[in-house]
Amino acid sequence: MEIEEPAGGIAAGTVVFSARGVGRTYPGVVALDGLDLDGHAGEVLAVCGANGAGKSTFARLLAGQEPPSSGEIRVAGFDRPVAGPAEAEQAGILLMHQEPLVIEDFPIAENVWLYRLRAGGDVRPWAGARRGADPETREVLREVGLGHLDPATPARELGPGQRQILALSRAKVTPHRVLILDETTASTSEEHFREIQAMVLREKEAGTAVVFVSHRMPEVFALSDRIAVLRNGRLVDVKRTAGTDPEEITSLMIGDAVRALERPPELPRKPGRPVLSVRDLASGSAEAVSFDVAAGEVLGLYGLVGSGRSSVARSISGQQDARAGTVLVEGEEVHLRTPAAALRRGVAYLTEDRRREGFVADFTNGENLTLATLDRRSRWGVLRRAAERTRVRELIGRFAVKGGPDVLTSTLSGGNQQKVCLAKWLEADPTVVVLDEPTKGIDVGARMNIYRIIHDLCREGRAVLVVTSEAEEALMLCHRVLVLRDGRAVDEFDTEHADTEDLIRSALGGAAA
Amino acid sequence: MTAVTSRPERDTTDETRARGRRAWGWLRQQYALGILLVLLVVASLASDAFLTSRNLENLVLQMSVIGIVALAQLLVVITGGIDISVGSVLGLASVLCVGMFGGTSVVLGLLIALSVGAALGAVNGTLVAFRGLEPFIVTLGMLALARGLVYAYTEGTPVRPADPLYSLPGTLTVAGIPLLGIIWIGIALLLAFVLRNTVFGRRVFAVGSRREAAHASGVPVRSTLVSVYVIAGVLVGLGGFLLASRVGAGTPTAGTLMELDAIAAVVIGGARLAGGQGRVFGTVVGTMIFGVIANLLVLLNVSTFLQDAFRGALILIAVVLATLGTRAARR
Repeated sequence: MEIEEPAGGIAAGTVVFSARGVGRTYPGVVALDGLDLDGHAGEVLAVCGANGAGKSTFARLLAGQEPPSSGEIRVAGFDRPVAGPAEAEQAGILLMHQEPLVIEDFPIAENVWLYRLRAGGDVRPWAGARRGADPETREVLREVGLGHLDPATPARELGPGQRQILALSRAKVTPHRVLILDETTASTSEEHFREIQAMVLREKEAGTAVVFVSHRMPEVFALSDRIAVLRNGRLVDVKRTAGTDPEEITSLMIGDAVRALERPPELPRKPGRPVLSVRDLASGSAEAVSFDVAAGEVLGLYGLVGSGRSSVARSISGQQDARAGTVLVEGEEVHLRTPAAALRRGVAYLTEDRRREGFVADFTNGENLTLATLDRRSRWGVLRRAAERTRVRELIGRFAVKGGPDVLTSTLSGGNQQKVCLAKWLEADPTVVVLDEPTKGIDVGARMNIYRIIHDLCREGRAVLVVTSEAEEALMLCHRVLVLRDGRAVDEFDTEHADTEDLIRSALGGAAA
Repeated sequence: MTAVTSRPERDTTDETRARGRRAWGWLRQQYALGILLVLLVVASLASDAFLTSRNLENLVLQMSVIGIVALAQLLVVITGGIDISVGSVLGLASVLCVGMFGGTSVVLGLLIALSVGAALGAVNGTLVAFRGLEPFIVTLGMLALARGLVYAYTEGTPVRPADPLYSLPGTLTVAGIPLLGIIWIGIALLLAFVLRNTVFGRRVFAVGSRREAAHASGVPVRSTLVSVYVIAGVLVGLGGFLLASRVGAGTPTAGTLMELDAIAAVVIGGARLAGGQGRVFGTVVGTMIFGVIANLLVLLNVSTFLQDAFRGALILIAVVLATLGTRAARR
């Protein structure tokens, strides 16, 4: 399993991996389409793109975590396309995720040597026993910039940035030729970025091909030698970093600015007083966010990963506690601690994590549809099953859900599952509807259905808040869009006049603004 | 709203097909029923004494208390938990209901048994729901605690009630069927109704299947969990009372290892230990399987030590068969 030391073996500039015609499709979605890209030894290749451009898909394919649907990726010194994590390790590919791979209960020292626990490796029970203060571990920690910490400290005591660095220390102890950093800096502060930068420089000197996946322009320009820009699953261009500027890359990422094809229904002439008012809400990564949503209005919250968009939605609807700020529903201050309380106050929340929170796995469509409104379908706690069934049939007909009332919701497609979740909430007749990524994992055809349902909601006079990471969707769904960046609302757009470029530039911020 | 009205004729075919699928699916899940039928045939061939009315009555008496405890266990298992304290709690309810106040009144005894069960169930439920502790560990503690109290209270000798009426419920027969059996089946029907037709029942399944989704849908997860453990406790308390009534005394070993039979009956009955699935009918059949086996082994004069081994082997075989069934169903 030992591979030759990359440093001496490969001269800088030789091709380490080459992707040829690589495509990846998921049901209904083309994530990556005919990509040709090479990675060179001793070079940092940045992969940029807006949300959904295919950056992370490329990272996963390169790391062999899933096979491409077409084309292949070859890694120098490995005689076949890499399939699976075990082969990726043999081929010398290291993938670092946005979420650091750290076991919280283990001390720092053991997290450094985590890779030795992998399956199929050393199975001697006494091997890899607790390593702590040995010089090798100390040396590794010192080199990555965690030398001031006691190696026996449990990893849970580290902050998010330190955890990321700890996870990255794996690059020091695992032989590799390719290092992929997939949005690794999304949750780290500037101070830690400098440590990551130092590490990347050392990797370059050692002859590693570094792939840096990010949408943060300043970091991309600080680290990379070349920049590959992806848009809608296609490789748009590869530029030398020295010969371009953030303005050009941002323009390439955005492409032709798109105006909304479909528009939400016109607002009534005089919008009523706000149904939902949020003042200085701080929660998760969001700091002091304020906005109003009137009856019959759709407000969009748009932002990149880590901008705090979901935290806002979750604390309004009782899924998560807010640190500070007030929420008013119909002019009345509310403190919604649980989803049940939010529901009683007329606030419904469509979750982003459909499989976990959206529906009950062992329940049929019928059972899931009435779960939020069981009180209404019962008398003295006894369900009126005949009436429930009739109502379920009506709902399934109205929302055009595939399969009957007795089909398990978990066996449906994403679009149909989402219809079930939406219908469940609309049964509760909420005044405020919070939708977190309503079309996540849903194919294009079903999306239009979901959009139509959401536009019907505002025709019925409900206040709708949509959290989305797709600029085009924000424009099509909403009357107004609030852009969040680093936890703050930075811009507001009227979607009648805005296009995708306005939104993406605002969300990226910095140089491109 | 977008009104999409499906044509009625397609609707009815869908309906028939769904019903057919459900019937077929139900049949395929009845591994337990198949085992029971085979066992009954084997038993009646192996021993002439098996099909006598005297033996059958005895069999019902033996199964009823375990059957009630298994139903309590089923409720807990559906929520994704497990209650291994049922045997000890049953023992405590059993000795206290005859021992407290000198065993002067049956009604008072029954109330004591139910209260003991409810109280200990409430402790289990509160720790599980509000402290977020593992049901296994909580009820393991309760198992030791309750059994210890039983021995402390009885000092190792059976407690006999003063009121002769105590033995009535346990020995009465209605039209040749022991009252105990009627109570068991009555509770089974009631629980089946609750699980199938009430808001509470729906919530129990939702909590067991996907707790986060239930919570996000406004289901009061914690109070549902506490209620489940309290109801289970009450059923176990009733079982303790009925056992004391049948035996005519509160014995310190009452209910020992009963959690084993209860859990096994629930699992053979098709419940999923991870929660979200479980049927009353399956649990009743599971109880019967164990009852028939135990009865047959006695009739065949197998040594008591070997009987336990047989029971254990049967649990393993039945669980393997049951999982074969679910795997086939998944395909």
